[in-house]
Amino acid sequence: MNYSRADLTQTDATMNQMRNAVYQLARFMEKNGMSDLKVKLRKMGENIAKTYIRYWEPTDQVNNSNLKDVITTIYQKILNSSVSINIVEAEKLVKVQDHKCALCKYQYDDVEIAGCEIILGMVSEIINLINKEVKDVSSVFIEPFEVAESRAYGNKVCIQAYKYKIGERG
Amino acid sequence: MGAFQWLMKKVTKVFGHSTNALFYTLLNREILKEINEITKKEEDSIVILNEIGKRAGYESCERHSSIFKFMPGSPKKILEYFEILWVVVFGKELDDYSYEEISKEGSKYNDYMLTINQCPICAGYGQDVEDTFDFSKTKNEKTEGLACGLSGMLESVANYILKVKRNDYRIQIIEQTCMAKGGDSLQFICKIYDYKQWKELMDSKDQEKATINAYFGGHLEEEIIQETKLDIFDKFQDVISIDKLEEYLDEPLETIKQRVSDIIRDKLNMEPDQFFDYFRNYEEDMVRIIGYLGIHLLNEYGGILEKTLKNEWFSKVFGYIFKQIREMILLFIPLDVIRDYNELLVNFLEGIAPIEMVDNIKQFTGKDTINLLFEGAQMALENLGIVFTELKENVWEELKKEREDGLISSESSAVDKTRERVPQIIHIIQELLMIITDVLTLPIRVLISESHYGLKTAINSVISEEEGLYGSIRERFDSIFDKIEEIRK
Repeated sequence: MNYSRADLTQTDATMNQMRNAVYQLARFMEKNGMSDLKVKLRKMGENIAKTYIRYWEPTDQVNNSNLKDVITTIYQKILNSSVSINIVEAEKLVKVQDHKCALCKYQYDDVEIAGCEIILGMVSEIINLINKEVKDVSSVFIEPFEVAESRAYGNKVCIQAYKYKIGERG
Repeated sequence: MGAFQWLMKKVTKVFGHSTNALFYTLLNREILKEINEITKKEEDSIVILNEIGKRAGYESCERHSSIFKFMPGSPKKILEYFEILWVVVFGKELDDYSYEEISKEGSKYNDYMLTINQCPICAGYGQDVEDTFDFSKTKNEKTEGLACGLSGMLESVANYILKVKRNDYRIQIIEQTCMAKGGDSLQFICKIYDYKQWKELMDSKDQEKATINAYFGGHLEEEIIQETKLDIFDKFQDVISIDKLEEYLDEPLETIKQRVSDIIRDKLNMEPDQFFDYFRNYEEDMVRIIGYLGIHLLNEYGGILEKTLKNEWFSKVFGYIFKQIREMILLFIPLDVIRDYNELLVNFLEGIAPIEMVDNIKQFTGKDTINLLFEGAQMALENLGIVFTELKENVWEELKKEREDGLISSESSAVDKTRERVPQIIHIIQELLMIITDVLTLPIRVLISESHYGLKTAINSVISEEEGLYGSIRERFDSIFDKIEEIRK
């Protein structure tokens, strides 16, 4: 009998080749006239989240008090990354600094997109799906804002920024 | 499974960047869906994903080409090492599989069929609404399945090894049966071609080439430009590859002596006694060098030891442990055991080193040898950043605290993170101490082994390979690798 998807949440897989495959995909998409790669990669992340959350979810509600811990848990459990999180209240931004991004390691001269756009899409969708059914004014919803820095752009770390709203989905 | 196969798998797994396997599988699915968004033709999408897999595998091999120089150089051996390829590419152990050789008349090598009963790529495919790639739309029965990207990566890695080893044969790996397509297992057929047949095969794939050309604007240029200047791995790759190292383990001392002599003659163009003559009257330094090189060899894999010791805290802990081991080792390891090692070294050198040198080494006591080894090792550790003069004599430990809600705190400081790692580090140290104890009993077994069946007989002399000394050491290393993985998380 084959593995179930729930079984897979309990094991790890090495990303080296798959990370390269993401950038090969980006080249393929650019070559074939796909203009908005950012939207496409984020959509891939959202789709991963929609399936993933059926097999594992970090908590049953995300609010202002546990937002940072939930994001830390998602990065740790799914991506094996230990991250630092900074919430910029004035701009309503959550900035996640990842020193060991699973999807970015090398800078490519011919690719102008960072693999961690996929992570932006996935993490925000997981949080929004958790809170979808929760009728609570303190629930937090987030959406991808930007990849502020990335190892794929030549930076030392990846910084993924999310826009957050409390009590309503963006 | 051979010792080096196992070690290679462990090292690859521990030092590669891993994510959760479900994320990996879903990412593979999404890549295929995005390709299909462009091609709108399922058969073409499979060909494109396979090509992406090949390119991704090739890119990775190019970055780590030296590692592949240690892999076996013949196609048959490479396929026997398929487990390693699988771990290199997928990062997951290959569970529940069988391996069948299909004879091919008139050919030097047979074909191989690999049946894998549990496929992580296909796990649960079709059960979620996001699994929208429809395999029923593929008309051609020969079209590969959901693991086509993986087969591309495997083929690319296998052929990269053959090219690096300057072998003219090539391997084609095709996903023949796929669970997502309704098969009852994942099946790869591996066909071996000589270079001429391989060229003909590539030329005959008109349809596939046309598809790749249409979407990529050209083929992957796979030929490796060999550097004129040979590095140390090139010089030794004929001698040192993981299959050959396993042969050495199977062979007794005399054969090892013969092999070492051959290497010295071939690579250094001198007779063994001339080589060892350089160390005559400097035998103490030779033993120190063994300790010194031992530490630097440990550091060879990516300079991990050096990087670790740059951290002041780790440097102090390592230094403390080293000092303790040095002080305690003679308390719990009988000097007879060390003497046996001296005797083993003497036996090894007899006949290939000058008599005077062998006589000098015979004068060493077990305590001398241990002290010299540790002196050399300490010099290397000082090079790598441990300041032994500043060491204090205490180590603290705090057990990892787990939160009731199961979430991981985002506020943990560097000190907290280090504290969380302390139990793992202490566990590693305990296992290493046990391994040292286990290994130090080895020479006794070798020397008293009546029939001198060699190292392997001694290693496995208790009951069986799994339950003997080899099994015990392997179990301890398994535990160490697990703890390193936890620390890296």
